[in-house]
Order: sequence, then C-alpha cells, then structure tokens
Amino acid sequence: MSERQRPLPEIQPFSTPFWEGTRAHKLLIQHCCDCDALIFYPRRECPECWSANLDWKESSGKATLYSYSITYEGVEENFADDLPIILAWVDLPEGVRMTTNIIDCDPDDVYIGMELEVSYRALTDEVTLPFFRPVKS
Amino acid sequence: MSKRGIAIIGVSEVPTRRMPERTRWDILLDVCIGAVRDAGIDKNDINAVISPNPMAQPQIALEMALGRIPEVLGLNGCRDICVTNAGGTSTTNCIRIAEQLIDSGQADFVLIPHTTVQSDIPVQDLINFFATAPLDKEWEYPWGVSFNGSMGLITQRYMYETGATAEDMAAVTVGLRAWAAMDPNSIFFEKPVTLEDVLNSRMISTPLHARECNLLADGGGALVLTSHEIARELGGKAAYKLGHGTRFMSATPVLRKDVFHRRAYRETSGDALEQAGLSIEDMDLRQIYGAYPYTQCSALEAYGVCAIGEGAKLWAEGRCAPGGDLPCTTMGDATGRGHVGSGVSMAFYIDTARQLFGEAGERQVQDCAHAILTTSGGSVMNACTTVFGREPR
Repeated sequence: MSERQRPLPEIQPFSTPFWEGTRAHKLLIQHCCDCDALIFYPRRECPECWSANLDWKESSGKATLYSYSITYEGVEENFADDLPIILAWVDLPEGVRMTTNIIDCDPDDVYIGMELEVSYRALTDEVTLPFFRPVKS
Repeated sequence: MSKRGIAIIGVSEVPTRRMPERTRWDILLDVCIGAVRDAGIDKNDINAVISPNPMAQPQIALEMALGRIPEVLGLNGCRDICVTNAGGTSTTNCIRIAEQLIDSGQADFVLIPHTTVQSDIPVQDLINFFATAPLDKEWEYPWGVSFNGSMGLITQRYMYETGATAEDMAAVTVGLRAWAAMDPNSIFFEKPVTLEDVLNSRMISTPLHARECNLLADGGGALVLTSHEIARELGGKAAYKLGHGTRFMSATPVLRKDVFHRRAYRETSGDALEQAGLSIEDMDLRQIYGAYPYTQCSALEAYGVCAIGEGAKLWAEGRCAPGGDLPCTTMGDATGRGHVGSGVSMAFYIDTARQLFGEAGERQVQDCAHAILTTSGGSVMNACTTVFGREPR
C-alpha cells in the first residue's frame, strides 16, 4: 500500500491463529467452548467465564458500518503515505464489533450503515491486515 | 452534620501555557505553597501529599512518587506520600485517598499537587505517546487509530443518532472557549472563537476540526482538603464533597456498549445526587470533563438536564455558555483550557471550588451553592461524578 511500513500489530501467542487466518484470507473470531461466547479481541482466557478452552469460528467477512472517522493528521509518520485514512468500526453479523479501515472507497462516499466486505492486504510476509471495502452492488 | 466527609479549603494553580522555561518543580512549588497559603494553614499541618501522576514525564513522576515534595518543602507533619495514575481521573483518585485518610482519622489536612510540562517534549514523541499509549497495539493501532480518531468515531455516531449538525457541535466549542476567554488561567484567555472559526479550522479526524481537539500545554494546580468538621471550625471558604459515584466502562472504545457513556453518567450522577440528598435541578453548575465536545452533550442528557439527543441543542441555543441559564464547564474543558495531561481534572476541581467559594471572577455563576462534576480518564474509560456544595450536609 505504501513505501513506508505501517506499524505492525503486536501479536500475542494466543492470537496467532487470527493472524494465520488473515494470511489464508479467513477472518477468524475467537470462541469459548465452555460458555459459547464470541470473543473480540482475542484473549488468553475467555473474559466471560475465564475458560482457556477456546477455539475459532470463521466469520462470513460481511459487515455493516457502525461509525467512521476520516483521519487527515495526528498519526505517526509511518501512516503518512496512506492519509487520509478512513477509520471504521464495523459490526460483523456474528455479533462482534471491530476496528478497521475502509479501503477502495472515496471518503465522500462513506456513510453509516453501508454494507462492507473484508479485504486482505499483506503488510509483510508474516502479517496480513483485514480491511473492509464497500460491497459492489 | 456527619463527622465524615471532606472539603476543599484551599486551591492554587499556575496559568496553562506552553512555557518550557517554567520547570516542573517551579510549578509544583508555586501551587503547593499557594494552596497551603490559600487554605490559611501552616505547612506543617499537611499530613499527606497525594499526587496525580504526570503523564509521559517519568523523571518527575518518580521524584514525586519517592517523596521529594514533602522533603523539599519541609512538610514536617507529613505522614504519607503517594502518586496515583488513572489518567484523567488521577486527581479523583487522589481525592478519594485523601477522603479515606481524613475519614479514618489518619490525616487532618491533605495536599494534592499536580505539575505537567509538555512543551519540552518533542512533538513526535507527544504524538506517539498520546496516539499509542492508550490504544491497543494489536487491534487498534495498526489501523491508524489515535485519540482524535477514536473520539471522531464516537462523535460521528453521536451526530448520526441525534441529528446534531456540525454547527450544533461547533457551538459546544464556541461556548467552552467563551468561558475560557474570561479565565486568565486558560491558554485561550481573551481568545474566544466563532462558529465560523471552528468550522473553518482544518479537519483533523472527521467530524472533529482542529479547534474541537486539544492543544497540549503545561500547567499545574493544587488542592488542600480537610474534614467537614475542621472546615466548619476554621470558618473560611470551603467546597464540601456531598456525594460521589464512579463506573468503569472499557479501556478500548470499540468494546464499549455504552458508546456515549450515558449509562455511566446517569448512574454516577444518580449515586452522587442520592448521597447528597439533592436532585439535578438543585445544581447551579454542571462541570463535564470529557475533553471532546460530544461529552458535553451526552452528559447533560444522562444527568437528566434534557432529553436524550438534545444536549447539543442546549449548547447551540447558548444556554450552557456565559449568560445562559444552564452554565456548564466554566473552565472550558481541555478544549478551552489547554490539555495538561492528567491535570485537566485538577483544573476542574479547582474551578468548581472557586465557583463555590465565590472566587471565579468574571466567570462566577451567580449564587453558586451546588455543583456537579464528572471526570473521565483514558479514552473515556470511566466516569467519576461528584456533587459539591458550599455548605456541609
């Protein structure tokens, strides 16, 4: 996406499957096998029941835009090539809300409630970040 | 009158400025000496020094945590020392620790000093600190989230749900800056802004314009607290703490089901008012520390001052600004005052005390007998609401 390297996520041992998933173009949501909670962001223990018996469910990759903010400045220099960035909170139909960016979209065309789909971009060989883009009608 | 309970009996602050030649210790010494003198007590009456943590300033934070203030100032009656850190609510925690010390008889007088100098920190370090420190490094930061971006996301949704316009939201900043323009301790003293000034300032992270975001600055302040009983015996000015409630929401904004903090504002104001035996209509002044304009709206809604979604309208109608019938946030919030890290809430407590002392100068709310004050820390991780009065319960 840019010459400069955007900051990479600080991946934890227990979140590694999520990032293996994005490399394989799958959006995985952590799930508690004991209390059935869907967990975002991933934890070592389920925040509902403290079970460590956790696995992963694949999301449909669809989402609805809950809110957005188009950032023009005030971020570290390594984002500079990507400005403006469309920050987004998206609701997955599975019941999880996550932070992402909307890509392949003119900032003027963004609106709350718009339908989105996941789109993967590799930052390095190891790290692929999930972004979202408008669903083409 | 209950034997328990605390009161603010002395305050002091230095003007909020960008002034690197004024050192952190200059500020500390000025506000400590100022507050003790303002309280009319002797330095050796102070039994504890409980301080909010200066953010992003590890050296002074360590010096304060390890007891330099009572040593340098010769506070010979000092028995206890502590630095607390809960971001913008650090001062609130200091007051609660002071309350415990005073109520349990371990201290008669507690000094709470704050200092911050940000103007000598390189700009990129400040951006990195405030852009990254409160954010999740795995699930937020890689997408370019900043404080302004997080608050932009919430504000956008607030406007979507309530129908508040850009002009309505800008009116909040106009009102806050109008208060600040009358306050010599504000970085924006004598610098009011118009709606056009706000709306024409450059866009930082939609819908937030530059003038709706915070200018980092230097400053500091101090409080002296004692018991209700001693405050009454001393017979001087006092702002009595009458009730308090607090709730934690979440560290990360995207996880917050209570997106506009209305539930936290409602429950904490409910707790505080119930303990005080008062209602929101009894409040002469509403003080909201949220650092971003939407909080000035959603808090008023949750307090019950107006209907849900009507908060921005109150500001747009000028009712919360100078001359309005519902004066709010007379120190201008961080937007109007300049953001002094963990010290913004200190400035709120000082301003609230001054209003109840009748010493708020041009900004004085007429016949101010009761005030409600909410502070928050982090990216509004919590809400801490206190009711103060100029008479004990």
